[in-house]
Amino acid sequence: MANREVVYSTCKSCHGGCGVKVTKEDGVVVHIEGNPDSLTGGTMCSKGLSSIQHIDNPYRLKYPMKQVGKKGEGKWERISWDEALDTIADKMKAAIKDYGPHTIAISQGTGRGYNRYTMRLARSLGTGNAITPGYVCHSPRLGLYALVTGYGRLYCDYHGWGGEFPKTQIMWAKQLEISSADSEMCYWYMRSLDYVKNLIIIDPRASAYATRANLWIQPRPGTDCALALGMMNVIYEEELWDKEFVDNWTFGFEELRERVKDFTPEKVSDICWIPKEHVIEAARMWAIDTPGTIQVGSSLERQANCGHTLRAITCLMGLAGNIERPGSMVSWVLPDTGLIEDFNLELPITDEMKSKIIGGDRFKMGATRTCNPDTMVKRLLAGDAPIKVWFSVGGQQIVHMANTKEVVAAIERVEFMSHTDLFMGPMAEAADIVLPAAHWLELDDVYDMHPRFMIEAHNKVIEPPGEAMSDAWIFNEIGKRVVPDKWWDTVEDMLDYQIRRGEGPDGGPLKWKDFSEKLVSGCWGPDQVYYKYKTDFWREGGGFPTPSGKFEFKSNHLESLGYDPLPVYAEPGESPVSTPDLFKEYPLVMSSGYRQPFYFLGQYRNIPWLRSFMEFPTCQLHPETAKLYGVEDGDIVWIEGPRGRIRQKLRTFPGIKRGVLMATANCFYPEEPAKGYHGVFISNPNVLTSNDHLDPMYGSPDLTCLLCKVYKAKDEELKEEVFRNEEYGFVPPHSQEDM
Amino acid sequence: MRWGMVIDLAKCTRCHACVAACRIEHFLPLRVTWPRLIALETDNGYDVDVSTYPVRCNQCKDAPCVDACPTQASYKREDGIVAIDHDKCFGCRYCVIACPYQNRTYLSRKRNPNYFPEHAQTRFEKMGKKLYPHQVGTTEKCNFCHERIDAGREKDLKPGIDRDATPACVNTCQPRALTFGDLDDPNSNVSKLIREKSGFVLHSEYGTEPSVYYIDYKLGGNPSNKAPVEAQTGSHIQHLSTVYAPSKPKLAKKNAD
Ligand code: SF4
Ligand code: SF4
Ligand code: SF4
Ligand code: SF4
Repeated sequence: MANREVVYSTCKSCHGGCGVKVTKEDGVVVHIEGNPDSLTGGTMCSKGLSSIQHIDNPYRLKYPMKQVGKKGEGKWERISWDEALDTIADKMKAAIKDYGPHTIAISQGTGRGYNRYTMRLARSLGTGNAITPGYVCHSPRLGLYALVTGYGRLYCDYHGWGGEFPKTQIMWAKQLEISSADSEMCYWYMRSLDYVKNLIIIDPRASAYATRANLWIQPRPGTDCALALGMMNVIYEEELWDKEFVDNWTFGFEELRERVKDFTPEKVSDICWIPKEHVIEAARMWAIDTPGTIQVGSSLERQANCGHTLRAITCLMGLAGNIERPGSMVSWVLPDTGLIEDFNLELPITDEMKSKIIGGDRFKMGATRTCNPDTMVKRLLAGDAPIKVWFSVGGQQIVHMANTKEVVAAIERVEFMSHTDLFMGPMAEAADIVLPAAHWLELDDVYDMHPRFMIEAHNKVIEPPGEAMSDAWIFNEIGKRVVPDKWWDTVEDMLDYQIRRGEGPDGGPLKWKDFSEKLVSGCWGPDQVYYKYKTDFWREGGGFPTPSGKFEFKSNHLESLGYDPLPVYAEPGESPVSTPDLFKEYPLVMSSGYRQPFYFLGQYRNIPWLRSFMEFPTCQLHPETAKLYGVEDGDIVWIEGPRGRIRQKLRTFPGIKRGVLMATANCFYPEEPAKGYHGVFISNPNVLTSNDHLDPMYGSPDLTCLLCKVYKAKDEELKEEVFRNEEYGFVPPHSQEDM
Repeated sequence: MRWGMVIDLAKCTRCHACVAACRIEHFLPLRVTWPRLIALETDNGYDVDVSTYPVRCNQCKDAPCVDACPTQASYKREDGIVAIDHDKCFGCRYCVIACPYQNRTYLSRKRNPNYFPEHAQTRFEKMGKKLYPHQVGTTEKCNFCHERIDAGREKDLKPGIDRDATPACVNTCQPRALTFGDLDDPNSNVSKLIREKSGFVLHSEYGTEPSVYYIDYKLGGNPSNKAPVEAQTGSHIQHLSTVYAPSKPKLAKKNAD
């Protein structure tokens, strides 16, 4: 009789959070499905399900290795964990002694659960130079929400716990329906759609629900701030604002009125290339049919005006009183276990650390707790070597940062780098040492959800391959070696520490063992609190945790940092308006905002089931635009801009704005050789993006709004392996099978 | 009793989860896919339509694939499911041609390499050979997960209501675009959806009487945004909450710190 065993866990194949039920038979995972007794009701997406091809994937990194050739040559030799960890720790100690802790950079990707560890390691070492993709994903919105409302974690109430679902919903440059990437589970969003009166999609290309929504607005990429200002203009003109909220709880209402005065629907129509009726209609729906929510997509944070765009959108929330009301934007009460970031926040960033943050003097909102990666690249290229040791985990800076050529050249100059990951990839190839990481099915850890009303448990289902270890273990081992007083004996001790504020079954502090069985620590239903500003929650006598105690349309704090205290619109660095001459040569507005539901950023092109859904990175053009430029559906095309050119497969798509090309972001090819960093120059749109024009507050580059031209690639220009592979059963060349 | 499925075109997001769930459920060979997603993207000059049609075997009432099968390997079950006896199938592929919806796949050797073609089988694949042996040289298609239905009904579970008796794709679909139930029961969830949202079948002109229906409509326009009591209390998950009675300001305050 076969031995069947069921293990419950939490998926982390995207930002995660779906409850998972895994069945093992004689120790082998034979089934994965959603856990019906979870907040996601037993549903899962293709990424999470395809984990089955992750765990036994022959291309997994299994052992620590050191580079024995030149960076990027792909010559590796197996070493022991001790050698790997000691080498890294020694390099760190030497850097601290010789140059100071700020010359160590700790970097991460969007996070397979290690955010807290990255930040704690950086702080415990004494460096503020953490490198994260936050500045192009999620951080700007948190920072701006915090600036305006005093509390950064403002999320859409799709739950109905307060008695109402949102009546008007805006999806702004976001496809929540295909990803739980901000941990607002698409499952919740889609259930709330059964109660929505107005669904507004703002996206230059049709996402899944665009053509069935009440209103679909297709702004020119990079002009979203103007649209938000225009909507506010209508709200002022037509006196649609929430009087009670504005009169009692806001600051700067008249100044904002003055600011948006010029942004008439006509003007916005000109800027955004949309009918003026769309601005008016959206404003009316938003302000009249309250409560409502705005789900912001990170495409808006990949633009060099992201600070003001998000500021404008937040003001829009306030004008309609869509703050803290059931069915609007709410900052959730934390679970018993408290704020999970306290794990790193408890180690403060000192003024000394702050003063050494790269880019900190310039990007006063973004580079206060993490460095500005683009500035770091420029400094490395300039030869002043601000970073001596780079400890990289998971992220693919080479892929997601602007101007790939410069990023590669800069990273090759870093004296010593290590990279931790599940597979070989561009960043691993640039490293001196690679460490093999465990998949979420192979580790115990605490899952932290963005909206912070719950945490969950990742429970180890099976053993990792070879000598792969969990990120938590790796961080702890490095920490222990360099700053032992800030780290733990075992991972379990560290997990116990993170959840200690919860209540264990014996009434004492919650322990990992019990949490792992319980799976969740959360707060919802009648336990959540709305309208916190009307209670003592944030302030004695009510109010917001801002300097004025109000919701700040105008921010004096921003002014004191040298920024405009009110939202302002600025054109992208390269656009038909800001660079008309360039536009003559590159007549298409380009965005790298095209995402597919089965890839998560740079990941999963080596998972056969997922790769089968789209073999080649694909770009989209309206059929008429394609015709205009002589390219056809199915062509492999060159997309060329002032800094270079890439090839993607063209799909004509009537759901995209005319004159706009939307390319798939974050693509490299695991099957391409190490030389050339796994084909990162073949199709990755960041070969085309610029790192010269950055958001003044956050330092974010224009990744989703630039200019390009398009033409068909000739057959003889398609030499790389990836173009020869007709079938998706591709064969990545790099394997440790024989080691 | 006739099992049927209603597919909500307004809700489907083209996410491919149903495809992945089916592959896991049946240990599908690398190049075999039972359910498929067909994109329909049109622009008639004033209206753009971007739609996805999830398709799978329709379990036709009048199934040409069954009629065409010379060995009775393809047969119709009492509950309306069109099933295949792989021991009887000898791979003539008449059914593949007979199905007007192109929902059958012949499992050739080419479609059945290892998941990582030049590497050993994964443990999942090896176990699959034991638990769900696919026979190269026979024809396959969606079987409405009749293994789940049969196992569930033995335990008195209701397909379409109880997960363990419901198709895997239906269970995993995040927007709940797939609904499963008994078409013969006028009060079943599927019958109601078909009635209330004017369900239709694809290519009714083929005359095969599919058991898979589709509904389509505009999103939005819902008359009330009031949350039902179950949503307010979070009744299905409330037992997981760790924070009790935060209406007491003290506790709420503690959490804010
Ligand atoms: S949505 Fe994210 S958490 Fe849920 S199954 Fe997919 S990858 Fe996993
Ligand atoms: S799982 Fe549901 S939403 Fe996703 S493609 Fe299938 S039917 Fe559509
Ligand atoms: S859809 Fe095709 S395979 Fe399925 S029952 Fe109908 S005819 Fe047969
Ligand atoms: S009903 Fe079952 S067999 Fe058919 S497509 Fe869905 S998961 Fe696959």
